[in-house]
This record gives sequence, structure tokens and C-alpha cells, in this order.
Amino acid sequence: MTKSNARIRLTVATGVATLVASLAGAAGSAPHGALDMQAQQQRLDGLLANSDPLHPANIDPKIWLEVVSAKDNALTPERVALGRKLFFDPRLSADGTVACATCHDVSRSFSDRRNVAEGIRDQLGRRRSPTVMNAALFQVQFWDGRAASLEEQAKLPELNPVEMGQPNGDAVVKAIAADAQYIAMFHSAYGRAPNYPDVGRAIASFERTLIFLDSPFDRWQAGDAQAVSEQAKRGFDLFNTKGRCASCHMINGANPLGTDNRFHNVGVSARHQNFEALATQALGILRDKQGAAGTDAIDKLALTTDMSELGRFMVTKNRADIGAFKTQQLRNVAIRAPYMHDGTMQTLWDVMDHYNRGGETNAYLDGGIEPLALSEAEIDDLVAFLFTLTDRRFAQENEAAYTAQKARAAKERPFRDEALAQRQVLPFEQRVFGKPTLH
Amino acid sequence: MKKIPHIKSVETRYLEQRETLLHGLARLDRRGFMKVSIGAAAAAASAGVVNPFQSFQPVHILGIGDADAAQPGFTFAYISDSHLYARKVNDRFVRQLLRAVDDVNALNPQPDFVLYGGDLAQLGAPEELELGAQILKSLKAPVHMMVGEHDWFLDMGEKWRSLFGKETYSFNHKNVHFIVLMSVHEKDFWTARGMSPADRMHTVAGLDNAVQSRFEVGAAQREWLKKDLEQLPKSTPVVVFSHSPLYKYYRPWNFWTEDADEVQAILAPYERVTVLHGHTHQLLTNRIGNIDFHGMLSTAWPWPYAPQGLPALTVQMNRPNPFDPNDGLGDGTINVHPDGLVDALYQLWNRNPIDVRATYLASGGKTDRPPATVAASY
Amino acid sequence: MGRTTLRSLVPSLRACAIVVGALILSAATGAGADNANPAPVNSLHGTKEVRLCDNQTTVRIAQNTPATRENGQHIAQALMTKWEAKNPQAAKDWVAEENEMHEVPPPADNHKLVGTGQNSTYGRVTAKDVEIWNRETYKLAVQGSQVFHSGAQLGSEIAVSCDMCHPRAANTHPETYPKFQEQLGKVALLRDMINWCIEHPVRGKRLADDDPKMKALEAYILAQRKGVALDYGRH
Repeated sequence: MTKSNARIRLTVATGVATLVASLAGAAGSAPHGALDMQAQQQRLDGLLANSDPLHPANIDPKIWLEVVSAKDNALTPERVALGRKLFFDPRLSADGTVACATCHDVSRSFSDRRNVAEGIRDQLGRRRSPTVMNAALFQVQFWDGRAASLEEQAKLPELNPVEMGQPNGDAVVKAIAADAQYIAMFHSAYGRAPNYPDVGRAIASFERTLIFLDSPFDRWQAGDAQAVSEQAKRGFDLFNTKGRCASCHMINGANPLGTDNRFHNVGVSARHQNFEALATQALGILRDKQGAAGTDAIDKLALTTDMSELGRFMVTKNRADIGAFKTQQLRNVAIRAPYMHDGTMQTLWDVMDHYNRGGETNAYLDGGIEPLALSEAEIDDLVAFLFTLTDRRFAQENEAAYTAQKARAAKERPFRDEALAQRQVLPFEQRVFGKPTLH
Repeated sequence: MKKIPHIKSVETRYLEQRETLLHGLARLDRRGFMKVSIGAAAAAASAGVVNPFQSFQPVHILGIGDADAAQPGFTFAYISDSHLYARKVNDRFVRQLLRAVDDVNALNPQPDFVLYGGDLAQLGAPEELELGAQILKSLKAPVHMMVGEHDWFLDMGEKWRSLFGKETYSFNHKNVHFIVLMSVHEKDFWTARGMSPADRMHTVAGLDNAVQSRFEVGAAQREWLKKDLEQLPKSTPVVVFSHSPLYKYYRPWNFWTEDADEVQAILAPYERVTVLHGHTHQLLTNRIGNIDFHGMLSTAWPWPYAPQGLPALTVQMNRPNPFDPNDGLGDGTINVHPDGLVDALYQLWNRNPIDVRATYLASGGKTDRPPATVAASY
Repeated sequence: MGRTTLRSLVPSLRACAIVVGALILSAATGAGADNANPAPVNSLHGTKEVRLCDNQTTVRIAQNTPATRENGQHIAQALMTKWEAKNPQAAKDWVAEENEMHEVPPPADNHKLVGTGQNSTYGRVTAKDVEIWNRETYKLAVQGSQVFHSGAQLGSEIAVSCDMCHPRAANTHPETYPKFQEQLGKVALLRDMINWCIEHPVRGKRLADDDPKMKALEAYILAQRKGVALDYGRH
């Protein structure tokens, strides 16, 4: 049936992704295809060489202090250092092979360039690893917003059976509590012995230093007319008009990230899902679970079962949220392939094709998704614009990604559907008539 | 007409039905799933939870085994106000009607029939009506058609009749007597102005165009209505389908029926009367005397609430987000209880459904209040 | 955008008719020849034909019609009525026509300023001034009503006009701008939101900020909300 096809596709895609990653030479000597932790940290030093971790550039300072920063976790160098150490430490996982940096690899755009993440014992999850870059600027974390803050988010993967596999927070703390260096760092950062909530706080503090908002686009917006190509400028115009991107991915001074912090069903892989059955199943499991037990249950369902596809619904239980996922940021999007919550789109051209055709029709499709009738030239313009959103520190990777994606898109465009895009066949037409017969 | 036994009070009956929903459900199909959730929410409401209809509460499912408890009454669905242009002129409206048809076809179990609430075409053009007819043919359940002003005023109903038959008729379904009225007649405003049919249609097509006359049922049709109801026992539930509201809401937008008082007088003697109307493209609830009024959603675009005249019972649906051309739109299902009382379930696209229950109207707005409005019309 | 040329002729034709009327009478009564008389007159059995400056519309009057101002005006009116009968489109006042369909609230009444003022810039305000201010302001709002109600004028690809979601500009709430407009992700003025609506629900091409149509649309929307208190930033 369709579900097993999807799994086979996922497995194959993962295999291909791993192969590509290893061929690309970015693969390293750490387990699960990550770059060695030491090498990662060296890269990180290079990236952060000229930035002030406590006062990142390109953000309104008032918004940084009052909206982004946590009330009970003020940013200090000690906390950042502790968080950094924890971030690169595989001892936090049950078998000592998976650190945060395994799936949020500095050399792989702080993600893993896979369609779904791989955790301990080579188990595969269900969703793509979001990047940590700029994650501090989101209002909620995870694809379904189940964590209200970075602190909350940093405490969940350790406990997920397919990620880091620890039974509980105490086990995580136990793994590091004997380390004298940790004890000292915890004391200097939080004035107390190592404990699990502080683990979350420290990692969050470190993540707040990973702000990458210095792209050619920003230079252009600041007044340098030569910073981006004419094609990219056309693309930005399309982004705000015919492409309809701006209403969920608005990107401007007030919203540097390119997200509305909301959740939308844009019809990704929707054709594979029986949403009603999944929703029933989820409600049945989650019925008696409140608070932490509820979040824990959702965390497991989201990464280990088909109910992952319900997205935000599992958190809110609102019918309007079935199949809805958080609008992702567009910063550095060009170097963060593959795309969407399940990593099914390999290039930005695929993403354009998906939106151009009006997504995949399903009963819960966000009504703002409709066929766009974009031409090939317009798609190229939009993609060119998206490539200008990459921080200049990754300029080389950006170039390489452009070449690779362009070559791949030239060979195959699996999501392309001209008839739908040009509105010759309409969404829902196939479901209503069985085949397009309306003419 | 079979006389319906009157056993328990309305309140007791509904309490029992909620219990039935909670404990008797075997399969949670899509429709059942929502009913359960709403039932659970209602139960939660009685336990004091705030905003029970805002989200689905986790449902306690008690094993499998007995089939669905005997569904009270029956259900029909509606789709209304699609305002189709020719497909090459406007694909969006066509897509939205297709979505509504998909929704109704996906209901499990299927409704007994589907009501089309009028304004199938936007400018009454033959190609628009034919396009609509073709799409509606793919509804699995049988369809009853009702005419709106956008369908009528180009050729005064000629094409409509040739496609769908008479515009005024009645039928019986189970224990309910259904009446379909043509309630958007207008006094002649076009002859004196020397208007062409297209001009006339364009004038009527403008909701806020003051040149047109106010809607009315008209004397002839009121006579027909009297005759149609003559032999009906007063206790038979009556459901009236009408495009205009059959009451007086806001005159400048023809959210209005000029002879509403006369029509209501004809209906007043009957114990259970519900009017289901189109034209207003919004969630609307009213009760005048013993007559319940429910507005239907549109599939084309939402109207804002009028600056005056909003019925007190209406809890406004939230102000639609213009980015989402589907917001504030949808279709609906009407649950008819055995005693003829009616619950109107608004299936708003990309939003939680809103159930406006008979108990809400019967209690004068005290019980089962729909979820509070967050953002009202300006 | 379309004012028909015929309509714009009306004022000049009226003027022409009045002049012709006056000149004919003066020619009739003047004993001596006024050979420089430009009025076209043809005699026919004691009547003469008076021709409008379009050289087509004519009326006949008695040869010895007395030369009063009143008769001159009658002749002018007769010529205009005939001309309007031949050109019914132009005869109508487009403002009145639009207003018949979609009433536009009139602008504020400034009559109490008449007779006031000093010096040249804000010199004596006359009744004529107030009339002109009123008329011109009103025309912009009424023109806005025309654009507002016309998918064609908005450039809609799907024949959608603003009044479909906003009858008589209901629910446009101009008093809440500027505000952070969620759909744009930034602070917007009224015309930013108008443009956004033109691009998305209406599916047309956005208007330049200084496009006359944009100004007219703003005028109409603001006119409809006359009297409502400003409350910028409100959602």
C-alpha cells in the first residue's frame, strides 16, 4: 500500500543521502555520518570569530532582550561555554554515540542533510532535523511547536528512544555528573550541581549564540544595490507578490527569519496519509495524558509512528491543525537540503514545483495554498533570491549547493505538474471526478 | 402524517443524547469523530471546562462492540453560494466548490441528501449554471436545488428551470416536511431604466447596489405556501429552504425579506419550523417566535457582519483572514432530530467546526453557546 | 481612466449654447447690420434656426423673439436638451449615477468658513470656494467607489472586486492603520493593505503608491468610515 511505498522511498532516500554525504567529503569520523566533534568545534570557532555572542548583529536589541531572551536564563559566557560542551558531548546518549552535534552538525548547516534523522543503534526518525542556526528567534521549537522554548526543546531528544535513547533526565545527568570539569562549569554557570533542567538551559544559551543573519540579502536591504543579482531582486518581488510566499514566510526588518511562527498544512506527502484514521488513533492514545506526560507521549509518537504526519494536531487537538507543520525559516535555506518536514524535496526547485501546483490536495489543506501559475523563469528568479539568504560565512557551501541543486533539478523535477500549476486541472478535481474531466 | 410522540423535555433528551454519543460509538469515522469530539467537549463543558468547543478534548473510547447508538433523526448536508464564473474567468471559485463536493462525498455515513443553497452562478450565465450542474452531479447523495438571485436575474429563471426544474416546491423526507422557496423576487426596477438583461443582472449582483429592489417571496408564492401547508398537522416538523433570510436583518445589503412578517405569520402555527437560508455567507442564528433560522456558509467568499441588525443569538464566526481565500467559508451538515429540532453544524474550512444546537436556540442563548468570538467584524 | 469625451464636452457645449443664444437675440434686435455677427442664422418664413457649435443640433425660434436674458437661456436650454437627447450617456452626471448605486457619504461641510479669512493665501473664503472643495473631494471618493466596485478597473484576473468581501467598504477599518499587518509581516499603511488585497484576493497587479486609482480607493474607504475615531495599531 502507499504507506510501505513511502517507507521504502524514505529508506532509499536516506541511503542515497548518506552516500551523497560521504561522497561529498563532508562526512566525518563520528558515528552516524557526523563530522568529528573536535573538527566541528574548530569550524565553529572560525564561524563565530567575529561575532559577539551576547549581542548578535542584525537584530533589534530591544527584541533580542525582551522577546528572544529567556527570563530565567540570562545569557552569560559561562552558560554559553557549558552549553557548548554539552552540545558536542555524545555521553548524553544511551550508547555514547549521539551528541546534539550529530544531527545538528556544524559542517552540515547545523543539521544533518538527511530527510529523517538517525539516532542511536542506527534507528531512523520520522522528521528532518531542523537547523539550530537562528533557532533562538522562533517562538516555539520543533516542527509541531511542542516545545515552548529552546530550554524545553533541549531536554527532549535525549529521552527519545530513536534519538539519544536515555530513559530519563537523571540518566543523562548521571552520565556527566562524575566529570569534574562539568561540576565546575555547572557551578560557575548556575551556582549548583549538575541537574537536568540546567542542562537544557545551558544548551539553550549556547544555541542563542548561533545567529547567522549576515547574508547578501541583508546587505542589499541595507542599501548595497550590488549585493544581489537583478534576478534575485526579481525573485524577491515575486516572493512578495505572485509567489504568495510572503504571507507565511514574510522576511523583512520585523521578521528577519522568514517565518510567521504559525502552523500550516501545505500538503506535503498528504496523498499518503489517512488523516482521519491517524487522528482517531492519536486522540485515543493521548486522551489521558496531560502536561509533561502528554509532551513526552507526543515526542515519541512524532518520531516513531505514522502519527508523525498529524503535525501540530497532536499538540492542540484542533481539527484545523491536522497535518500542519511550523513554517520553517528561510535563512540559509539553500544549504539546508533536503526540504519539508519529511525531507522529501531535494532541491529548492522541487519546493517551488510543490507550491506552484498548489501542494497536495487533502481535506485539511491550508486554504492559502493554491496553484500559482509561475513560469520557469519566475521559478528560477525565486530560487535565485532564496540563495541570497545564506550567511556570507557559508558562501562557498552556498555556491556548491547551487551547482549541485541546479544539476539535479536539470535532470529531474518529480514534483512538477504543469497542468495543475497553470490551473488547467484544479486541486480537488481529481478527487471529485476520479480523473480530470471537467473540461 | 405520523404524529411524533412527545415524551421528555428538550433538556433531558439532549442530555441523554450526549451520553449516547460518549458511550456508544464504535467506529470513529470522520463525521463520527467530530460528533464524538463535540459530545466530549459538551461533557467537558458541563464539567466546567472553559471554551469547550475550541478544540477537541481527548476522547475516552470505551471499547468496541455495539454499533453506533441509534442515530437520532437524520442528517443532510448543504453547499451554498458558489458564485461560479466560467472556469477560465475564475478558477478559484470552481476549486472551492470542488472542495465542498469533496467534503460532502467524504462524509461517512453519507447524508440523506444535499441541499444546494442558491447562487450557483455569479452572473446567471448559462455556462456558469452548466458548470455548476456538472460539478454537483458528482455528489454521491441526491441533491435538492434552491435558486438564488445570482442565478435568476439574467433570464428570470429560464436556464435554471431547464436545468433544475421548478424553483418552488416541497417534499417530505422521513417525518419532516421540506419547503423550497424562491425568496429573492424583486419588484421591477429595470424596465423604467431601460436596462438590458445583463445590466439588470449586474445590478442585482452588487450586494450594496441600491438601485435594485428588496427581496420578497411575493403574494403568489405566499398563497402557494398557505395551500401547501393546509393539510399538514401542526405538529409536523417543517424545514424551509430559502435564499433570503425570511427575516429582516440589514436592508441595504438585502439581508432582508420584505414580506418576512407575512411569511412568518403563515409558518407561525406550526410547532417546529426551521428556516435554512443562504445569501448572507456567514454563520447566522436567529429565533423569532417558534421559528429557528440558520444561515449557510458560502464556498466563494465571506460577507462581514452587517453594521446593524445582527440577531442577538448570533455568536459571530471569527473575522476571516484574507490571505486564505478559504477562510470563513465551507459547507455544513444539518442534524434533524426525531422531533424535528435541528442542529446546524458549520464545517468551516481550516477551522474547528461550530455546532449551533437546537438547545441553544430553545434556551434563548443560555445553554450550549457556540465558542466565543475572538475577532469580530469591524 | 475613462471619463467619456462626450461628458467632458457638456460644460463647453452649455457655454456655447448660452453664447449663441445671446448673440442671436442681439442680432435679431439690433437694427443695423452687425456684419461681424458670428451667430449662424437661417431665416425661414419668419423663423430662424439656431445652431449649436457642434454644427448639428438646431432649434427654430420666431424671427422676432425678444432679446431678453430669459429667452436667451431658454434657447440655450432647448439646444442642450436636444443635444442630451442625442447623447444620453454624456448627459448623466457620473457622480450622481455612481451615488445612486453606492451612496458615498459627502465630505465635511465647510460653509461656516465662508466670509472668513484674511490676506492672500487664506483670503476671504467664498461660497464658491466651499462648493469647489466639496465637489472635488466628493468626486475623488465617488471615483473610488467606481474602482472599488469594478474587477475590471482593479485589473482582476478572476473578476473579483473589493465589494465582494467589503460591501460599501464594510470591514475595511482604515482607522486602525498604520498597524502591524500579519499577512504582510510588517507595519502597513492602508494603501499597503489595499495593494496586498489587490494582489491576492483580487489577483490583480498592485498599484503604484501615487496611482490615481489608489488615491481614489483610499478616498472612498476613508469616506465610508467618516466619523469613526482613529485607533492606529488595533487588530
